[in-house]
Amino acid sequence: MLTRRRLAVLTGCAVAAAGLPVAARAAVPGAAAFIKQAGDRFLAVINAPGTMRGKQQQLRQIVEQDVDVTGVGRFVLGRFWRVATPAEQQQYMAVFRQILVYNVTTRIGDYKGATFTIGRTTARAEGTVVDTTINAPNNPPTQVQWVVQDVGGQPKIVDVIAEGTSMRLTQRSDYASVIVQNGGKVAALIAAMQHQLAGLQAQPG
Amino acid sequence: MRDAARLLPLLAVMCAALAGCATPPPASDPAALAAFKQTNDPLEPSNRVVYKVNNAVDTAVLKPVAQGYVAVVPHVVRHHIGNVLDNLNEPVVLANDMMQGKPRRAGDSLMRLLINSTAGVGGIFDVARRLGYPNHDTDFGITLALWGVHSGPYLYLPVLGPSGPRDLVGFGADIALDPFTWVGQGAAVADLGYARYGVSAVNTRAQLLKPIDQIKRTALDPYATFRSLYRQHRRAEVKATRADNRATVPDWFPQPKTPQPKTQ
Repeated sequence: MLTRRRLAVLTGCAVAAAGLPVAARAAVPGAAAFIKQAGDRFLAVINAPGTMRGKQQQLRQIVEQDVDVTGVGRFVLGRFWRVATPAEQQQYMAVFRQILVYNVTTRIGDYKGATFTIGRTTARAEGTVVDTTINAPNNPPTQVQWVVQDVGGQPKIVDVIAEGTSMRLTQRSDYASVIVQNGGKVAALIAAMQHQLAGLQAQPG
Repeated sequence: MRDAARLLPLLAVMCAALAGCATPPPASDPAALAAFKQTNDPLEPSNRVVYKVNNAVDTAVLKPVAQGYVAVVPHVVRHHIGNVLDNLNEPVVLANDMMQGKPRRAGDSLMRLLINSTAGVGGIFDVARRLGYPNHDTDFGITLALWGVHSGPYLYLPVLGPSGPRDLVGFGADIALDPFTWVGQGAAVADLGYARYGVSAVNTRAQLLKPIDQIKRTALDPYATFRSLYRQHRRAEVKATRADNRATVPDWFPQPKTPQPKTQ
């Protein structure tokens, strides 16, 4: 039986899980054009001549400009954002930001010489979804969907969906599992993330 | 939900036997309890043990074989081997399309089976795609989902990997639906059957070498990541199948006045 208390709990959980205000989301005009520009910028840096270090710096700027890193970070931490202390929140965001950038920049080799085409745009609850087909050399064409939201007046990417799997949902499950396996401590997650970041930084290139 | 309730006695027996049941969080923490129910992995400790064993076997046996397969066999040949395996699976796909009530999909599968087996020389060449019959894969697990069966608690199975009660039943049903299970008898036929499953496993693992490596590198908890990916992927497959309502009226026939719902 759906009592008022249970309804309140469920709503609270949904809000806590989303970390976002419960509101309808308006479609982002020009989302397809934004994805096209962001993709062109990204590929221009990858395909241009230059050192790996220089490219990583430029890609870092593009990620900060085009991706809502703070929003994604809060979504990924999910219901534990409210449980974390302000210090932990800051630490988490700092490490999350760096890991996100690393995950993008270490894939430079995969996308050299790649092209992409823009498909349909759909407005959904989580944002405006732009379909793209990415043609990377030596790979079959992959269907990737980009979820765009209006953040502070600017369109920003908040999620990547490949083969029906959402990147931020997957990462949220991952991080939540780490926290739960470690007795509900956010500090354990931050330690694991820092350990992973150290491993990424130790890699050459 | 009915299916989940029916599974409870079986789960209780399994839990008693394996002592590998997760303890749900206390009711005083409603957010944690809701998350636990949503994750729907009551056998998590046992699943994690099976994952560890599976991972060890994969790293020691299946992955090196897949890597050797990729190194030795040229890309074009691997692509055509994949085509042959897809064609051998086509009768199962056809049967499931019909049971799902998807006439255009069933038509695609039937034409693929006929064209690729004949003009495609036993499935080696994917001639049907060029004629407008794209490839799609389906199984009895998706059929059950479309019939309204809940996916049930998460199960990580030895060899088969991420699954659940519904998908496990689907796997068994697909073997029963496969005509090659019943055709012929004798040592040679049995060997061919094993060869087919063996090559299929290696071929699939070879295709997944890069994705799985990347997941293991970037995930803090690979078990939870695979669980999430599997579930999302299955849900997306079921959703895409459900949404495929392409019209079955041929183009040259006078179209009905009311527009048929088209695929997205």
